[in-house]
Amino acid sequence: MAAGPPTAVLALRGIRVSGRDRPRLEDVDLSLAPGERVALLGASGAGKSTLLAVANGLLAPVAGTVLWEGQAPARSRRGRRRQQARIGTLWQDLRLIEELTVQQNLNAARLARWGWPRALLNLLLPLDTEACAAALRAMDLDPALLEQPVTALSGGQRQRVAMARLLRQEPTLLLADEPLASLDPRLAGELLALLLAQAVAPRALLLSLHRPDLLDGFDRAVGLKDGRVLFDGPVAQVNAALLADLYGGTPPGETP
Amino acid sequence: MKPAAPLLLLLPALVLVPLAVLLPPLVHGGGWELIGSFALAAVTPSLDPVVLASLLRGVAVTAGMALLGWAGSLVLGLLLGAASSRTVWRTLTGSTLPAELIRRLLALPRAIHELIWGLLLLQLVGLQPAVAVLAIALPFGALVARVLSDLLDALPTAGLEALRAAGAPAPAALLTAMGPALLPGVLSYGGYRLECALRSATLLGVFGLGGLGTDLKLSLQSLEFHELWSGLWLLLAVMLALEGGISLLRRRWLVPGRFVLARRGVGERSREMLLTLAALLPLCVLVGRGLGVDPAALLQWQPLPGLGGGDWAATAALPWPRLVGGTLLLTALAASLAVGLAPLLLVVVAPVGWARQGLRLLWALGRLWPPPLTALLLLFVLEPGVITAALALGFHNLGVLGRLLLESADVADPAAEEALACGGSGPRLALLYGRFSALARPYLAYGAYRADVILRESVVVGLVGATGLGSQLLESLSSFAWDQLLALVAVYALLTLVGEDLSDRARHRWLRAA
Repeated sequence: MAAGPPTAVLALRGIRVSGRDRPRLEDVDLSLAPGERVALLGASGAGKSTLLAVANGLLAPVAGTVLWEGQAPARSRRGRRRQQARIGTLWQDLRLIEELTVQQNLNAARLARWGWPRALLNLLLPLDTEACAAALRAMDLDPALLEQPVTALSGGQRQRVAMARLLRQEPTLLLADEPLASLDPRLAGELLALLLAQAVAPRALLLSLHRPDLLDGFDRAVGLKDGRVLFDGPVAQVNAALLADLYGGTPPGETP
Repeated sequence: MKPAAPLLLLLPALVLVPLAVLLPPLVHGGGWELIGSFALAAVTPSLDPVVLASLLRGVAVTAGMALLGWAGSLVLGLLLGAASSRTVWRTLTGSTLPAELIRRLLALPRAIHELIWGLLLLQLVGLQPAVAVLAIALPFGALVARVLSDLLDALPTAGLEALRAAGAPAPAALLTAMGPALLPGVLSYGGYRLECALRSATLLGVFGLGGLGTDLKLSLQSLEFHELWSGLWLLLAVMLALEGGISLLRRRWLVPGRFVLARRGVGERSREMLLTLAALLPLCVLVGRGLGVDPAALLQWQPLPGLGGGDWAATAALPWPRLVGGTLLLTALAASLAVGLAPLLLVVVAPVGWARQGLRLLWALGRLWPPPLTALLLLFVLEPGVITAALALGFHNLGVLGRLLLESADVADPAAEEALACGGSGPRLALLYGRFSALARPYLAYGAYRADVILRESVVVGLVGATGLGSQLLESLSSFAWDQLLALVAVYALLTLVGEDLSDRARHRWLRAA
């Protein structure tokens, strides 16, 4: 058997998600190859968040197929958890656990792979300090922060801790829903660069973005409008006419 | 090495380890068949119209006693609460000394459990419906007074001072500035106390003060389990309707839950609140007539035995260290069981969707089912003693704590739990890390308060014997040893006051650290 193209990290075919008035997603196809960095564009309400929720398994589509690394969603609970462990999501609201330290938060990303003894021990003792410190360093953070409670961190530090937690999970699929929305432009650029640097094969990154000026580091852009894919191609092909069509006249960057 | 929040939540459940060692030798195995037929009777309650009619009368009497006792405690609590508020005395006289004095005096009625009040009153004025009403109203009134004065004194006084400066007379200024701000808190606490009053009225019945509790105890003693369950299901319906109604009103009025661990809401529709309160008055009069409550009969006291001739030597010779030790051990075991089992069970059943509903029902039964009856039931298979009593008391309080934790978990932010589950952590760890982290400290703070309630409540399981002060107290009461009784009540009150102080400190520490 000849070696075909490498298995897609994420493959969506004919995805449909119904909504109240009209489908939130209709006939969406999307595929991410290992090492690919894809930006998801579209006005608010176009279906970006819905698409990401389907991609991370939170939402089951009413029609269409989802394949993670070539596998359909597992039927067994254990198999499903193993699949979910390979999908890392960077949430817009970060979802850090406020009562725990930075290290405990980073280790929370390992819960899927840990048994109960380590999960409980993590609440008592610092575990895997070396790996946690490495994750912080990769995000340009001082490892001395490990013992801090996350409530003691600044906004930018929290963002980086959430990204370090994503690394600590060691996922193959990285998903992010407008992670840069609330940041000032300089910081947004810095953090995006850190995230893009982590998306090397066998990993792939799908990130929803509301600022086309940050498209540079991506390989591909996918434009959504009214729940349908309007555009899927190299970033270089994204031009003013396409953006005007995607954002329906409102200048991009001003959509919330 | 400091345990993090979610781990703290599971620590009290470690009490299961010593229990697992101590429990097996207590099993005498004589009554497994009885336990079996008791459990089976749950699905085959008696539907005999005569039985049902009598049980319905019992439920009505219990609910009536609860309503009147509760209404009395509100009136008493509002008056005494105002009388023990520093702000009120400062506004009226410029000195807070009377407030401090009244506050200290009120600690005594509060420290004595309603069962002790009931049994003492029973000796004093004989069996009549007003006894149960008064037994509830007195300690509850003192509790309401404390909560009310704490709420009142915590309010900012700027508005009050502005009114006074503008020449408003003190009483009018107090009512205008403080009344509206106080209403939501009072209603919320009042609603919670009504739920407590229903449980207390049932309990008092078990000790012969009338209503459904008496029927339940008789059915249990004569092993009529089918009738017992008919009564229990009826009571469950009343309790769930009451709890549902109260939480509906809370939501409608946006009143904060008494112990919802995540606070929100400020109070709305105050006119509707006041109308509801006003409608209670005629209702109480009607219920009072229906029950045959006769306030005048309360004044005809039985002759009191002279205390001068008491046998104080015999009282001093009681095994005090063992009595106090037993009571404290009972409290610690029951409190750890109740506090620790609620989160543990929720975590254990997390992957099974319907199991939560099962726990909800089990906990409702725990709240409703008076601890002395659980204790009697346990005696079918266990030896009497502190552990048996602790199981009974723990089960009852597990019902209270479990409901609180479940309701708080339901309204808490699901985001962190969802994120963990999405990353592949199983439902149990996602719940523990993601949702219980934020609830742990307020829950444990409430647990500290509950431990204090359990200490006070430990008297109600005294009838299983050898449980410390509680069983000695019931024994002295039945042999009319007034001297012993007085000493026992005093020691109980002292312990409760110390316990209250300790639990207050623990609570503040937990909440400050949060």
